[in-house]
Amino acid sequence: MLTSTTALVLAGAALVVREAVSLRQLLGTELSTRAGILAGNSTAALAFQNPEDATQVLAALKTDPSVVAAALYDDRNRLFATYPEGAAPPLVPAAPGSPGNHFEKQHLFVNQPVVEGERRLGTLYIKTDLRELNRGVREHALVVLCAVLGSIVVAFALSTWLQRKITRPVRILAEAAQAVSEHKDYSIRAQTESDDELGLLAGSFNDMLAEIQERDTALRASEVRLRQLNTDLERRVAARTAELENSNRELEAFSYSVSHDLRAPLRSIDGFSKALMEDCGEALGQTGIGHLERVRNSARQMGVLIDDLLNLARLSRAEMRREPVDLAAIGKEITTSLTEAQPERQVTFVVDPNLRADGDSQLLRVVLDNLLRNAWKFTSKKPAARIELGRTGENGGTTFFVADDGAGFDMAHSDLLFAPFQRLHRQSDFEGTGVGLATVQRIIHRHGGRLWAQGAVGSGATFYFTLWEAGS
Amino acid sequence: MFVHAGAFAAAPPEVRRTPEYDLKAIFLFQFAHFVEWPANTFRDEHTPITIGVLGDDPFGAGLDEIVANEAIGGRKLVVRRYQNVEQVDTCQVLFISASEASRMAPILARLKGRSVLTVGDTKDFVIQNGIVGFTLAKKRLKLRINLAAADTAKLVISSKLLRQAEIVRPKGGVG
Repeated sequence: MLTSTTALVLAGAALVVREAVSLRQLLGTELSTRAGILAGNSTAALAFQNPEDATQVLAALKTDPSVVAAALYDDRNRLFATYPEGAAPPLVPAAPGSPGNHFEKQHLFVNQPVVEGERRLGTLYIKTDLRELNRGVREHALVVLCAVLGSIVVAFALSTWLQRKITRPVRILAEAAQAVSEHKDYSIRAQTESDDELGLLAGSFNDMLAEIQERDTALRASEVRLRQLNTDLERRVAARTAELENSNRELEAFSYSVSHDLRAPLRSIDGFSKALMEDCGEALGQTGIGHLERVRNSARQMGVLIDDLLNLARLSRAEMRREPVDLAAIGKEITTSLTEAQPERQVTFVVDPNLRADGDSQLLRVVLDNLLRNAWKFTSKKPAARIELGRTGENGGTTFFVADDGAGFDMAHSDLLFAPFQRLHRQSDFEGTGVGLATVQRIIHRHGGRLWAQGAVGSGATFYFTLWEAGS
Repeated sequence: MFVHAGAFAAAPPEVRRTPEYDLKAIFLFQFAHFVEWPANTFRDEHTPITIGVLGDDPFGAGLDEIVANEAIGGRKLVVRRYQNVEQVDTCQVLFISASEASRMAPILARLKGRSVLTVGDTKDFVIQNGIVGFTLAKKRLKLRINLAAADTAKLVISSKLLRQAEIVRPKGGVG
């Protein structure tokens, strides 16, 4: 709008200036022509010094109202005749100026030499009023101004109409799109009333929004449903967990009380068997005493089993502490006590001195005790054995192991190793309750670690464990 | 100053110059601008225009000064002075002095038919079939022209010149 207005005004101004210039040129040419004719007509008057005739010649100018004054000068530049008759300076100059046309603000004047043949007889001076011309130019300027103003009004009206027709719907559409993307509100619609392509565009836009809104609603509904399902599931899991914990606790309490209650009759069996051996040893004879020994052994074994079971049960309930633990020191204590208990055995213990770990020292002692005792037990048939406690570089050096070169086991049954009461060897070969490794596994699990074993029949076994694998 | 002197011209005019005759001398020169002579009047295009003075010369050096270095249509101007009409040969403008007043009729009769612009300031000069006459009115120099005489001399006088003059038509004039 500003550009077109500027262009219009400039074009109008150029038109007016051009008109003014061409009008001036035209006027100048006209004046020169007329001055030439008048000069030709006044040669004889000058030549024969006839001012009356010269005055008459000049009087012909009265047909043109724009001529203000005129004068003839003789060859010595003296005033010879004037128009209007009797005019004197300053209306006409006392002497002629330089030849040619001269423009002043309000006037145009010409100095035309009067020549007959080659002889200059004098000078003709004519002065015309430019008011007529200026008025003409002003009128022209007014017309141009009106045209320019009219054009601006029409252009404004046109641009307003166009804006209403095109720009505004597009803006409304853009604003709607922006509002949608800003507020994620798909219920917004572009308001449109036009039935042209823009209206069609807005309609398509609205349809698209409706589609998106529909999908959005569906998505939200399914989200809500999913969240509900999730909540339900969590609630159910929590309920089940609680149920499970409850039953677990009940089971442990049951097994604890069962184990506890089993000890009383066991003590009776052992006690009375001993009493029978002491009091009626002679009556029973050697065979009877032997049987009673077997009974007592079995009772003791069952006692150990019950103790183990009680320990296992207690482990699940015991509060666990986390502190720095020196596994090497604990290992040393255990091997020392093992060696002292059976000084006749030839066993080489190799213990890595740098075995620092985090955990409950009591529980980790149980782990090492079980694993080392196991190794001690399964190497008992070898004349010279080697048992090692250390760590390996696997998993960043945090995997501990206990290795022996004893009886070993069949890897095919390795999944049974850590289940309670499962044994891979006959009781007659190696004593045991089958609870030890189960206990170890439970402790390792409570320490956030893993326990696994590798071995082969006749070539020893290695038990590995890690602690805090989850990084906690 | 270079002065043309006619073959029969009297010695340089030692006449006392007056403003009246200075003006008349100018007019004599100006007539040449406003009169057309028949083409055969001049031998060729460079033949000068001759201004003659018949009788006592009243202009003195004035006339010579005026025409000196002037040219009209490529022709120079020369001044010749004659004592009697028989001496007048090739001449375009002839001023007949007042000294010839008594012989005016025979002089003009003798010049009749020749393309000579006769000029005089004697009384009734144009009535006597002179072509241009000077008169004085209110101290102003006026012109009278006998158009019929100009016609007879086959001279074409510019309307511009005619505008300056009083046209005289002699009743039953010679011609």
